[in-house]
Amino acid sequence: MNLLTSMILRRMRKPFIMLIAVYNIAILGMILIPGVDDQGNPWHMSIFHAFYFVSYTATTIGFGEIPYPLSDAQRLWAVFSIYTLVIAWLYAIGKIFTLIQDPHFKDAVTSSRFKRTVRSMHEPFYLVCGLGETGYEVVTALTEEHYRAIVIENNPDNLNEIRLHDMREFVPNIIGDAADALQLEDAGIKLPNCKGVIALTATDDVNLKIAITSKLLHPNVKVVCRSELKEYEENMLSFGTDHVVNPYETFATMFEMLMHSPSLHLIYDWLTGAPYTHLTDPVYFRYGHWILCGYGRFGKELYKLLVEHDIDVTVIDPSLDVRDEFERHHVENKKNFIVGTGFDEKTLRQAGVDKSAGIIAGSNNDSNNLSIIMTARAVNPDLFVVARQNIYNNYDLYTATHANLIMRPREITARKIRAVFLNPLLVDYLKLARNYDEEWANVTVSRLSAVVGKNKPHIWTVEITEKSSPAVAEALELGRFINLGHITQDPASRYLKLKCVPLLHQCGEQQTMMPNEELAIKPNDKILFCGTREIKNSMYVTLSVMSSLNYVMTFRDEPESFIWRLMDRYMHKTERRRVPRPKL
Amino acid sequence: MNLEKVVFSFFMILALTLNFGFFVGEVDNPDHHNVYELYAVLVVNLVATIMKFGDRSQLGAMLLATSLVAVVQLISASIVWTVAVHVQETGLTPAVMSTIVSLSGGAMLANIISVILLMIEAAMLRR
Repeated sequence: MNLLTSMILRRMRKPFIMLIAVYNIAILGMILIPGVDDQGNPWHMSIFHAFYFVSYTATTIGFGEIPYPLSDAQRLWAVFSIYTLVIAWLYAIGKIFTLIQDPHFKDAVTSSRFKRTVRSMHEPFYLVCGLGETGYEVVTALTEEHYRAIVIENNPDNLNEIRLHDMREFVPNIIGDAADALQLEDAGIKLPNCKGVIALTATDDVNLKIAITSKLLHPNVKVVCRSELKEYEENMLSFGTDHVVNPYETFATMFEMLMHSPSLHLIYDWLTGAPYTHLTDPVYFRYGHWILCGYGRFGKELYKLLVEHDIDVTVIDPSLDVRDEFERHHVENKKNFIVGTGFDEKTLRQAGVDKSAGIIAGSNNDSNNLSIIMTARAVNPDLFVVARQNIYNNYDLYTATHANLIMRPREITARKIRAVFLNPLLVDYLKLARNYDEEWANVTVSRLSAVVGKNKPHIWTVEITEKSSPAVAEALELGRFINLGHITQDPASRYLKLKCVPLLHQCGEQQTMMPNEELAIKPNDKILFCGTREIKNSMYVTLSVMSSLNYVMTFRDEPESFIWRLMDRYMHKTERRRVPRPKL
Repeated sequence: MNLEKVVFSFFMILALTLNFGFFVGEVDNPDHHNVYELYAVLVVNLVATIMKFGDRSQLGAMLLATSLVAVVQLISASIVWTVAVHVQETGLTPAVMSTIVSLSGGAMLANIISVILLMIEAAMLRR
């Protein structure tokens, strides 16, 4: 017996027994007390009639005195029965309502409904732990692509119906502690169709626990964690977590990219931002003297990076402990530390803001950061500004500062997770792209902007399998030769190409960057494309409809119905007959 | 001594004894089977069933099942009785009477199993 029914039964035991007792006392009385029938003979109610009488009296329906008018003795008993019966009924009904209102009972109902929904889900799904802003963005991205997601969140405020209502797919969700193994099991972590676990709770400790539990309970599952501290990150990776997303580190990587090659940075920004952001303008790094405000996790990463590139950096931080630590670690640059907040002009001038190339507002306080930017810009309007945003709601404020680079931890995390789960090839592509030079990046940037233009870029992965591209798979099975050019051909017109860029082609272990049109397609290949959503849809017409594929390969519309095919064949024959045979 | 156990056992054994009392006698003779006794059997069985609600153990589930069987049998018996006397007004013919008594016999079997289970549980506890 499950918990829920046994809970109901146990609670209802007392009211039911009371109801039976009262009913039977009333029935017994009705049977025993003599009455008079219509001929004036003494008469006793049968059990059946007494039960009938008591039933309609107890439920306050009251049909009257049936079958014969009652004697006064019976009426006296009826008065007694009415009050006791009605009270017993009210008591029983009251108990039922109390039970329904009971918070524990409600929890039991929600959790059993959640479990049932999870078990009845047959498509592959992703388990998202923590529905903060990042979690919300990840779930939106997954459901946009028609993947299913299940959410565990410990804060009921984050789980209100409205937030999950707008999703494209129904998202089963539960309030609970994701660090609890039983909770994860209830959310279906052991099910074979659980494809991935995404740990995005606020603390690294919980994320670590989720990762361990997931890998133990379901070793094949893909686990991605957010982590903001190095030691946790290493721990997570040590037992097979597939990806650890550290927003500070990721930002540092992007920053380094920007220093080496603005175009590469642009590619990174465009491709990870798809499909939600338009193409952004390139950002050019400025060499010279830099000021770094806030020497925390974020500041340290960037300081290391700048110093490695022989850039002169002045650090501003209000904490004396931080100064001591800085002086211990960087003895040679000791004099480049100023104690202060950085939002007053005096400190900034002391740091040399009027002659600086750039400033980093990297403290963990948004109002300080904004004020640093405003003050510094007032002194030196040409500064290159890097801003760190801490609280999501300040999004528009930061956008309004027109800072050259804005570090938004949640956005960075969401972008990375989107890439890992929706287009794993994109992660490989971006990794490989770092080995190429600026010229290659420039060519790629111009190709991308040519196909995307003013639209929003869209990234998609084509898999040559029976399921996702049936027409191509079938044609390959028949031994036809298909190359990449066929797939990028517009199925609507022989004179047009689809406006998309093939980014990466994967055949087995071998990966080809920016494959060209002659590349032959084989079964189980994977190809990563960038274009727009409309182009993606057109491409899937070629991939899945045989007649369209036939058209792009032969530029001929083959008749499909039986009669037309016969006619077509006949016409071809006569056509051939008219052509004179070549003389030998 | 546990008062809950006393009440619990009391109702289960009373269900069996009353059931037996109704069951004994010639199977088709209405004089040997009292309607009030059938009524009492049904009520006591209902109470016994509700007392078994909500016990999550294996034995508890078995006890509940036997009681449910007895109640179903007894309710059918009383429906047969009511229909024969009040609806069709054929009275208690031997055919009707034997149907009622055999249904209550089935209920008695369920009650016997129930009491046996009760004894097994008591023997298992040994305290």
